[in-house]
Amino acid sequence: MPRMTEAAASIRKRHGSPMSLVGPDHPAADAGKTLEVRDLDHTYSVNGKTTQALKDIAFDVSAGRFLSIVGPSGCGKSSLLMMLAGLLTPSEGVIAVGGRPLTKPDPTRVGVVFQDASLFPWLTARRNVEFPLFLRGVDKALRREKAEEALALVGLERFADSLPHELSGGMKQRVSIARGLVQDPPILLMDEPFAALDEQTRITMGDELLRIWEKARKTIVFVTHGLSEAIYLSDEVLVLSGRPGRILDRVVIDLPRPRSLDMMAQPRFAELREAIWHMIKA
Amino acid sequence: MATRDAVLGYGAAGAVFLALWEAAPRLGWVDERLLPPFSDVAAALGAMAATATFWQQVQLTLLETLTAFAIALPLGALLGVLVQESRLASLIFKPLIFFVFSIPKSIFLPIFILILGIAFWQKVAFGVFSTVFIVMMTTFSAVESVREDQLRVARSLDASTMQKILFVYLPSMTPVLLEAVRVAMIFNFTGILLAEMYASREGIGNAIGVWGLGFQIKELLAMVLFVSVLAIGFNEAIRYVEAKCEHWRN
Repeated sequence: MPRMTEAAASIRKRHGSPMSLVGPDHPAADAGKTLEVRDLDHTYSVNGKTTQALKDIAFDVSAGRFLSIVGPSGCGKSSLLMMLAGLLTPSEGVIAVGGRPLTKPDPTRVGVVFQDASLFPWLTARRNVEFPLFLRGVDKALRREKAEEALALVGLERFADSLPHELSGGMKQRVSIARGLVQDPPILLMDEPFAALDEQTRITMGDELLRIWEKARKTIVFVTHGLSEAIYLSDEVLVLSGRPGRILDRVVIDLPRPRSLDMMAQPRFAELREAIWHMIKA
Repeated sequence: MATRDAVLGYGAAGAVFLALWEAAPRLGWVDERLLPPFSDVAAALGAMAATATFWQQVQLTLLETLTAFAIALPLGALLGVLVQESRLASLIFKPLIFFVFSIPKSIFLPIFILILGIAFWQKVAFGVFSTVFIVMMTTFSAVESVREDQLRVARSLDASTMQKILFVYLPSMTPVLLEAVRVAMIFNFTGILLAEMYASREGIGNAIGVWGLGFQIKELLAMVLFVSVLAIGFNEAIRYVEAKCEHWRN
């Protein structure tokens, strides 16, 4: 497959390291906890008109990293995330999680948090979080224990018996994160999870997410159209071009952790934001 | 608090209605032979309720009603889901269902009698016929009320088709289906009573028809009162459950 080598070459060129399960930054990283995307193309047709949505997408994410994907509207970043979740099959290419190809949704390997919390309104917070385990036939006591652990992680243990309509937007999204984490998958995918929230809640949720991430030690792939949000949260930002979406660059965010809001006022933050903005605009 | 207000409201409306009913004939506002006072009708109902015939009639009608309902509801819901979920079936059958729905069902009653006679199954068949279209139409909107994002969550959790039907479709559809149950029961009950009035030797509808022809207004109104309480009771019970899961609709 010549395409494969071509993509591999482009990766080497860009990152100066051969393709491997273990990312260059984490020589000791657990090979089971990485995401690889190889040679991914995606075209779809509507009413006989074919559109190329994604082209030559190849990247990998090391265990425990926080990677954001940004790009102009319609660049296919959400489609890409749906592919990583196994919800959409790419026309070409391979997605592997923990070294094994992912061809259909597997919540034990990949947890997903959607833009709308998408909780089931007839279930309490705890039962929403238990739901993935319930589908797999996990017994009641263990389900409850796991759900309570996950709810405690997102700081909602006191709201376990609340119904979704009794919770605020931010709280619902935290329940949704707990649901994504309840099966302890190495990777959590997030599709513009805070886009529907107001500005203040969005900032609070960002900090909350970083706290959860540091505690749970997950790999997070985060799709957003907010550049500041992406820079503030991430170790690295993958910048996609307009349609067909191609990888323009992978920007390492060298701001120290823990992150704090006043970093947004630092020149380095502005510099990174400026650089990414120019790439997208071009 | 809201429930208490509602109960008070119902009580007040009922009291005003009964007071007017009692007063109108007694004060000579209406002809007492056409509208006997409430207390007389209530007394007649009490006397009827003490007879075995009354309960036999009630039992028969309720059995017909529930049998028809037990057939029409699952049948309508199943057909509704199948039609709504298939593009082709939607295209072909939806207009037909809407057309048939708009035709008054009562004009078909003589045909049912010609085919099925005037016994139990004719009433049930006509009840099903009166009900199944409204159930199908409500089911269409019930299926539409299932949210795409919730289905996507189920897919992302690798749920099987059966799991999606049981744990996403069904609970999502419940509020709208309850509405279907409520409205369908009105259609169903109407169909059964009409069939009994038109051609039957027994049942509540038959009794009302016979009393009407015999000018036995007190008995007739007593039965009307009884049927009304039954129908309102069922309707309100389902409405109560509907209100409980109102927030499911988002």
